[in-house]
Amino acid sequence: MKILLVEDESKTGSYLKQGLTEAGYLTDWVQDGLSGREYALTGDHDLLILDVMLPGLDGWQILTAVRHAGILTPVLFLTARDQVEDRVKGLELGADDYLVKPFAFAELLARVRTLLRRGHAREENMLQVADLELDLRRRRAMRAGQRIDLTAKEFALLELLMRRSGEVLPRSLIASQVWDMNFDSDTNVVEVAIKRLRNKVDANFSAQLIHTVRGMGYVLEADNARV
Amino acid sequence: MRVSDSIVLRTSLLFSLLTAAVVLLMGIVVRVSVDDHFVDMDRAQLSGKFELIQHVLADKNVPADNVRIRQQLEDALVGHHDLVVHIHDANGNLVFSTGHAAIPNDVLTEKNAENAAKNIQRWTADGMVYRGMATDTETGYHIAVGINIHHHQEFLHAFEWQLLFIGGAGSLIMAILGWFAAKRGLRPVQEMAHIASHISAQQLQERLPINNIPVELLTLAESFNAMLDRLGDSLQRLSEFSSDLAHELRTPINNLMMQTQVSLSKPRDAATYRDILYANFDEYERLARMIADMLFLAKADHGLVIPHAEPVNLFHEATALCEFYEAVAAEKSVTCSVAGNAIIHGDKLMLQRALGNLFANAIRHSHQGSCIKIDIQMKNTQAIITIENHGDAIAPEQLPRVFDRFYRADASRQRNDDGTGLGLAITQSIIHAHGGYITAHCENGTTRFTITIPATTLQGNNG
Repeated sequence: MKILLVEDESKTGSYLKQGLTEAGYLTDWVQDGLSGREYALTGDHDLLILDVMLPGLDGWQILTAVRHAGILTPVLFLTARDQVEDRVKGLELGADDYLVKPFAFAELLARVRTLLRRGHAREENMLQVADLELDLRRRRAMRAGQRIDLTAKEFALLELLMRRSGEVLPRSLIASQVWDMNFDSDTNVVEVAIKRLRNKVDANFSAQLIHTVRGMGYVLEADNARV
Repeated sequence: MRVSDSIVLRTSLLFSLLTAAVVLLMGIVVRVSVDDHFVDMDRAQLSGKFELIQHVLADKNVPADNVRIRQQLEDALVGHHDLVVHIHDANGNLVFSTGHAAIPNDVLTEKNAENAAKNIQRWTADGMVYRGMATDTETGYHIAVGINIHHHQEFLHAFEWQLLFIGGAGSLIMAILGWFAAKRGLRPVQEMAHIASHISAQQLQERLPINNIPVELLTLAESFNAMLDRLGDSLQRLSEFSSDLAHELRTPINNLMMQTQVSLSKPRDAATYRDILYANFDEYERLARMIADMLFLAKADHGLVIPHAEPVNLFHEATALCEFYEAVAAEKSVTCSVAGNAIIHGDKLMLQRALGNLFANAIRHSHQGSCIKIDIQMKNTQAIITIENHGDAIAPEQLPRVFDRFYRADASRQRNDDGTGLGLAITQSIIHAHGGYITAHCENGTTRFTITIPATTLQGNNG
């Protein structure tokens, strides 16, 4: 997977490039609008991450040029201004998502994965990670053959974690996907919900599936490679 | 300076104009009555002469050109140089005449003696003004008497000029006096201006004296003082807010600095460094959230814009929030119930945030095992949402302050959760942006927040 990052602020840019590269993405990083447009038009990228304020051309102009050339690569905007007009303008021009600075890197990574997954979604009736099974049709969860009783929201939470097994999901993304809550809650709602889910899913088993990644979010995976 | 620019100028000008009008009116009245008086005097004199002449001519048998009668008439009229007398006999012959002026014919037509006195006429001859009357007597004579009133006219003329002069001078004096009076009358205003000019952000405690101020200026002074009170209050809050903000930011940054310095003071293993970075991250995250909240509130101070007004089902939102906070509530064995419904026009995300903050607050301050009750009512065109919880009581004097930024019911309590202390302030500004208001009540450990919000009247933005 190849990502083009256009970001003029050098500290932000280098951290983002490092983070994305370490997450397994091939990342091109340019620092001005003109080369950004050139790379976007010629390079074969799977995703464009554009800053709005850039020297030369701004992010919107790059996006316009890209869409004009008929390239439908997903675009994620980074904006320092959380003005609604900016948000609306970006989305109107054909951006797929936006992030307001400052943002958590986990949040960016989760969104990048969401955008890259788009179009690859499969219809499944059954999700399985290790000995944990989720029957989506009958709304049932089983661990090692034992039935687990879950509330509707717990089921939705587990489904999200299993669908994106191995990915670290930030709290804000979980709140948005499971509860459709898109504001920055100042309570530990997701933390508590995960704790309760873990009690039901992991408590009676030696192999832990749901892990907390400090400072990043939560991940459900079979091996215990992460700390 | 235009006249309308100065109250003193305007008042004194008006004053002198009114004075001039009054003086003019008085002058006209005096002038008319003096004239009337002269007419009466002339009438009396003419009538007297008339009767005298009639008396002399009373004997029918003595012709008027008789020397004796002529002598008598001349004796009677001697010394009256202003007098003009013409006597004709029944045949129209002039039998006696004295004085130099002629009497015009239209004066001489009156036949009746009583009417003659009423019908006194005026005429001008040889540059002199005369007044006179005429009539036929019973003895067949026609008597015409005139009197030169030129000296009266001259007197009246001089009198008119005097009146004009007195009126003009009086008006001018009144204008000057009026100017002084108005200037003096407005002195309290200047004093107010003087005091007001000394009021600055550092000296907001200064107030206009209410005790010895004119009644007319009392309202102005009172509203001015009230404005100063409000300004002082806002300024007080603002400076408290600034120091709170500095404090709120300083504490976590101090912690970060200290932790980093201690960590760097000797070599440690990778796991320890990782722990330190994680701990730092939590702190950074909280700082970032606080800054985002502060920005939101700063924008709200300039009038929050509601960009996407759409119908919002409050029951649906409250229920969704209940589900969202279910796990947190369950940790404290707190339950949640939603009753009633209303649909309002607003920004769904913002309303979610506003209600979410209230929920989080309610759960935070609820006692174990209590119930949070949400009630939604539609009254006329307003939606009324109440959120009620049992728990920590809030002192009555602190109730209005719970919406203040960084407000803490217990000043000594340290914030040990993720809260930024801005939640309720944000809730309030969102409700205000929707044209509504929020109040807090506390009674016997039951804390109730009441939101009143118009259902449809959203017009873009609001301060």
